[in-house]
Amino acid sequence: MRIDCDVLIIGGGPAGLCAARSLLGTGLNVLILERDPFLGGQLLKQTHMFFGSKEQYAGTRGFEIGQILTREVQASPNVTVMLETVASGYYPEENFILALEKEKKLYQIYFKKVIVATGASEKSLLFEGNDLPGIYGAGAVQTLMNMYGVMPGQDIIMIGSGNIGLIVSYQLLQAGVKVKAILEAAPTVGGYFVHAAKVRRMGIPIFTQTTVKRALGQNALEAVEIVNLDSKWQYVAGTERKWSCDTLCLAVGLSPMSELLWQFQCEMRYVSELGGYVAKRNAIMQTTHPDVYIAGDVSGVEEASSAMLEGTIAGFAAAKALHKMLDSVDQVIQNSQKFLDEMHRGPIGEKIRNGLAKVEVDVCL
Amino acid sequence: MKNKASVVIVGGGITGVAIAYELIKRGVKDIIVLEKNTLSSGATGRCGAGVRQQWGTEMNLKLSIGSVKRFETLQEELEYPHDIEFSQTGYFMPAYTEKQVEQFKKNITLQRKFGLHVEWLEPSDCRKVVPIIDLKGLMAATYYDKDGHLNPFHTTQAYAMACRRKGVDIELFTELIGIKTEHDSIKAAITSKGVIECDSIVNAAGGWSQIVGNMAGVSIPTYSERHQILITEPIEPLFRPMVMSFYHNFYTQQEPNGAIIMGIGDPNEPKEINVDSTYLFLQKMASVVTTVLPPLKHARVVRQWAGMYNMSPDKTPIIGKTQIKGFYLACGFSGHGFMISPMTSTLIAQMMTNEPLAIPEIETKLDLGRFERGELFVEPSVV
Ligand SMILES: Cc1cc2nc3c(=O)[nH]c(=O)nc-3n(C[C@H](O)[C@H](O)[C@H](O)COP(=O)(O)OP(=O)(O)OC[C@H]3O[C@@H](n4cnc5c(N)ncnc54)[C@H](O)[C@@H]3O)c2cc1C
Ligand SMILES: Cc1cc2nc3c(=O)[nH]c(=O)nc-3n(C[C@H](O)[C@H](O)[C@H](O)COP(=O)(O)OP(=O)(O)OC[C@H]3O[C@@H](n4cnc5c(N)ncnc54)[C@H](O)[C@@H]3O)c2cc1C
Repeated sequence: MRIDCDVLIIGGGPAGLCAARSLLGTGLNVLILERDPFLGGQLLKQTHMFFGSKEQYAGTRGFEIGQILTREVQASPNVTVMLETVASGYYPEENFILALEKEKKLYQIYFKKVIVATGASEKSLLFEGNDLPGIYGAGAVQTLMNMYGVMPGQDIIMIGSGNIGLIVSYQLLQAGVKVKAILEAAPTVGGYFVHAAKVRRMGIPIFTQTTVKRALGQNALEAVEIVNLDSKWQYVAGTERKWSCDTLCLAVGLSPMSELLWQFQCEMRYVSELGGYVAKRNAIMQTTHPDVYIAGDVSGVEEASSAMLEGTIAGFAAAKALHKMLDSVDQVIQNSQKFLDEMHRGPIGEKIRNGLAKVEVDVCL
Repeated sequence: MKNKASVVIVGGGITGVAIAYELIKRGVKDIIVLEKNTLSSGATGRCGAGVRQQWGTEMNLKLSIGSVKRFETLQEELEYPHDIEFSQTGYFMPAYTEKQVEQFKKNITLQRKFGLHVEWLEPSDCRKVVPIIDLKGLMAATYYDKDGHLNPFHTTQAYAMACRRKGVDIELFTELIGIKTEHDSIKAAITSKGVIECDSIVNAAGGWSQIVGNMAGVSIPTYSERHQILITEPIEPLFRPMVMSFYHNFYTQQEPNGAIIMGIGDPNEPKEINVDSTYLFLQKMASVVTTVLPPLKHARVVRQWAGMYNMSPDKTPIIGKTQIKGFYLACGFSGHGFMISPMTSTLIAQMMTNEPLAIPEIETKLDLGRFERGELFVEPSVV
C-alpha cells in the first residue's frame, strides 16, 4: 500500500521523538516508523537517572524521559506512528522507503524529507565458543532485566568497562545477580569515574588489560578462559586461567546502524571515534543527500542527550526546508547547537570532537 | 606496481583470474591483473553461479561440457585449501509452449549426441525432480543431473590464490584508464597507479568491456544490462536442481545451506552501467516464482542486489583477437560467463601462446569480426 508524508522519521528513540517534537504544530504530515512495539528506543531500558543539563532531563530516569517524549508526540494530530514496522530498504529509482508492518504488510512510503534515527547495534567479540547459550550483549541483558523482569543468569562476568558495562553491572547487582568481575582489554577504565567508583564500592573488581579467550561449556556456558593482554593487545602466554560463570555479558561498544544511509548513497566515512561508518553532515544534520537528515547514535554513537539535541535540530531543519518555519527557527536551531557544543567541550568530549571533525562539512547543502 | 609486463589482464572477475592462471600454467611470465575494485566485485560476485550443459548449439555444448570437466577437478588442480562448493544437483528446464517443446526435443537430440544423458520428463514425472512444482500449463521438461552450481567467490579466490603462488601480480584498486598503441600494436596499459609497458592486453572487464575497447580504439558492440537477484532465508530442503523457465524468464535454486536464490529477466531493465535494486523486481519475482513453485510464498527475502550482464548483439560471448595486435577480448558473456570460464580462459591462453585451440572454430564463430561480416551466432536456448 502507498503512503505519502512530508517528513518520514525512521526510528522512535530519543532522536526520532525529538525530531517529531520539532515538527509539532507545523501542519506537516509526519510519520514515524518504529520496529519495536513501543516508542522510546534505548531509553526504555534505562532505569538510572540521567546526567547533564536540565533541558536534557538530567535527574530523570531514562525510561521516564521516553514516556514524556512519547506522550508529547502521540498527542499531536499531525504525527502518525506505525509500531512494529521496519523500514527495510530505500529504492532509489522508485524513490520510496519500503516498510514491513508486523511481518505481514508492505508499505511504499513516499516522503519529501526523511530523518534517519535508527540508533546503533551492539558489537560482538571473536573468540572460541562465542555462540554458546549464556553469552549476551549488554543491551540484551538490559532488555531482559529492565523491560521484562527476567534475570539473565546467576553468576556473570562482564566484558567492557565503558559506561554501558559499568551501568549494566550495577543494575545486575541491584537485581541480585552476582557480578564476578569486569574485564577491560585497554589499560584504563573506559567509563566515567563516578560509575566505576560505584561498582568498585560494591566490591566488583575491574581487571584492565584482560580479556576472554575462550568460552567453555557443553550445551550452555559453564566457564570462561581469560587471559592478560600486553601493550600491543596480544595474549600474554601462560596467564590463561579458568573462571566459572553461567553468563557472559559483552559490553564492547556500539556501531551506527547506517544501512539505509548507504542505500541513500550518502557520502560515508569510517570514524572509529563515532563507532563505525557514519554519513557526512552539516551543522543542521543534513547529509550529502539533500533530502536525508540524521540524528542520534546513527550519526555517531554518543548519548541520549546529544541524540535529543540532534533530533531537535534535524526536525527544525526539515521544517525549514519545507518552508514551514517558525520565525524563530534559526534561533531554535542555534540554541540546540550551542547545547551540543557545550556537551562536547572539555576532556570527556574530546573523542567525539575529534570524530565529528572528520565528518562535519561546512556547506549548507 | 611493476612498470613492465608481458600481459596485462583487465578485470578481476572469474574470467580475468582464470585467464591469468591458464597463461602462467603455460609458462608465460610477467602477468599483471588489474582490478579497479576488489576481486569478484563485478558480475562474478553477484551471479547465480549456475552451471548448465543443456545448450542448443554445438559451440555452447563444447564450451560448457569442457568447463564442467574442469570444475570437477578444479579445487585439487588449484590446490585450494577451502571448498569451491561444486555440486551437481542438475538443471530442470520446463516447457510451456508447443514451440518450446519442439525446441527442447531438438536440443535433447543434440545434447545426447554429445554424450549428455539428459532426461525428457512428461508432466507426470516432473514432481519426482521438483516436488513443489505446480503442473498448471506445464507441457514437458528436460533435466540433466550433471549440471550444477559453484560458489563464485571461492572459485575466483581459488584461481587468484593459485595465480599469486605462481607469480602473477594481481593489482587491486587499480583502474585501467587508457591504452597506448603504436602501428596497431599494444604498447602500454595506462593505469590509475602508473604506466605498464606491455605487449598484450586482455579485455576481461565484464560490464565495462565496451569502455576498455574504446581505449584501444576498438569498437565492441557489447552493452551492459542490469539483472536483479534475491536470496531468501534458509529453509528446509524443497528442491535440488536449478529450475530455469524460459517461458517465465526466471531461474531459481536452493543453495546447500537452504537459502533460495532467484532472478528474473525484464526487457525494461536499463541498458547501462547500473546496479541499483528496485521494488518492481521484488514484486515481479515474487508473483511469478510463487505461481510456479507455490510453497515459496512462505519464504522470506533477506537480501536483493543487482549485477550487469555484458550483452553482445547475438547473446553469445566474444572470445578472440582484434585488429590491434596484442589486444584480446573475453567479454559479452550475456549472462553465462561464469559457467564457461574454464574454457574461455583455456582458449584465450592457447591463442596467446600459439597452441592449437581446443575448439578451433571459435576463431571464426566467436570473434569480433562476426558482427561486421554479418555472421551472427544463433543460440536458441538463452534466458
Ligand atoms: C546501558 C546504557 C546506558 C546509557 N546511559 C545513558 C545516560 O545516562 N545518558 C545519556 O545521555 N545516554 C545514555 N545512553 C545512550 C543513549 O541511550 C543512546 O545514545 C540513545 O538512546 C540514542 O538514541 P537514538 O534515538 O539515536 O537511538 P535508539 O534509542 O537506539 O533508538 C533507535 C530506534 O530506532 C528503531 N529502529 C532502528 N532501525 C529501524 C528501522 N529500520 N525501522 C524502524 N525502526 C528502526 C529502533 O527500534 C529504536 O527504537 C545509554 C545507553 C545504554 C545502552
Ligand atoms: C544476476 C546475475 C545472475 C547470473 N547468473 C549466472 C549463472 O547462473 N551462471 C553463469 O554462468 N553466469 C551467470 N551470470 C553471468 C556471469 O556473472 C558473468 O558472465 C561472469 O561473472 C562474467 O565474469 P567476468 O570476469 O567476465 O566479468 P566481471 O565479473 O564483471 O569482472 C569484470 C571486472 O573488471 C573490472 N573492471 C572493469 N573495468 C575496469 C578497468 N578499467 N580497470 C580495472 N578493472 C576493471 C570490474 O571491476 C570487474 O570486477 C549472471 C550475472 C548476473 C548479473
